[in-house]
Amino acid sequence: MASIRVPSALRSFTAGNSDVEISAATVRDAIAELDKKHPGIGAKLLDNGKVKPFIRIFVGSDDIGDLGGLDAKVSDRDEISIVPAIAGGR
Amino acid sequence: MTHRVTLVGAGGLGGPIGLSLGAAGLPVTIVDHDTVELSNLHRQIQFTADDIGSPKAEKLAALIVARGGTATAHVAKWTAADADKLGGDCELIIDGSDDPETKFAVADWAVENGRQYVIAAALHYGGNALAGAPGSACYRCLFEEPVDAPTCADAGVLGPVVGAIGGVAAALAIGLVRGDRMYAGALLAFDDLRKVPEPRVVRFAPRPDCPACNRAMIKPHTDAARLIVSAKGT
Repeated sequence: MASIRVPSALRSFTAGNSDVEISAATVRDAIAELDKKHPGIGAKLLDNGKVKPFIRIFVGSDDIGDLGGLDAKVSDRDEISIVPAIAGGR
Repeated sequence: MTHRVTLVGAGGLGGPIGLSLGAAGLPVTIVDHDTVELSNLHRQIQFTADDIGSPKAEKLAALIVARGGTATAHVAKWTAADADKLGGDCELIIDGSDDPETKFAVADWAVENGRQYVIAAALHYGGNALAGAPGSACYRCLFEEPVDAPTCADAGVLGPVVGAIGGVAAALAIGLVRGDRMYAGALLAFDDLRKVPEPRVVRFAPRPDCPACNRAMIKPHTDAARLIVSAKGT
């Protein structure tokens, strides 16, 4: 199965889990599966079917923007990373 | 050659960044408008209780100088409009602020003015650092616009996390000023330093409709603009 790496800011949806295993053919399917397992998290990632502008999604080390966007293919061993903009530091 | 660096933010990230760069022999201009508070001390370990109430920029600069480095303090909020006064002569600018708007402003200014830069952030148990250089994908290529992202003040951060992310940001900065562009246009993301100390290195391509990159292309003094003008024969 592929896995989705959930950033700490969204782990309140996943009971604190950093990795969620999913079975999906595309990133779009993966997010739908993630939202099915952890309701509400999908709305934090997508807006009207598009990835929110302050969130980037990677398959392995590749930005899905270079792989066909949400239609990027996912295989069993892939790790999907969700990277939100964060601002802390002071 | 002296590689002058401007550091925006003298707090949790700014402390280790400034001390590391100063100790590496890089002159550092520090810009921060804030004063030290008791609640800062668990993560801003460059300060002591005696510093409470003092300007962070001045205290950090004094510490760098006391350790043999070179540092200048500006007790001010960094804005692009005042950038020339606030360390605008730098070769590299590094952001350790706690403010999405400032992070975007620093990155946009660096892109527009052909400077190398590092944008660092930390929250909860992780953080990230992005390195940029002229021609590479930029911060705005990755995250399109500022959002109301949670900050350390309202969401919290584990004290040692800012030290670790600050160290990474300083190492990226030193690499860039030494001419190493290996990580230019890449984000080093640490999800949870309690569990996984290695970063995920994610690389991304410049976004064709990125307004920051497009503004840089039409700035008359940039190399890129000169090349375009030259190619058109004007």
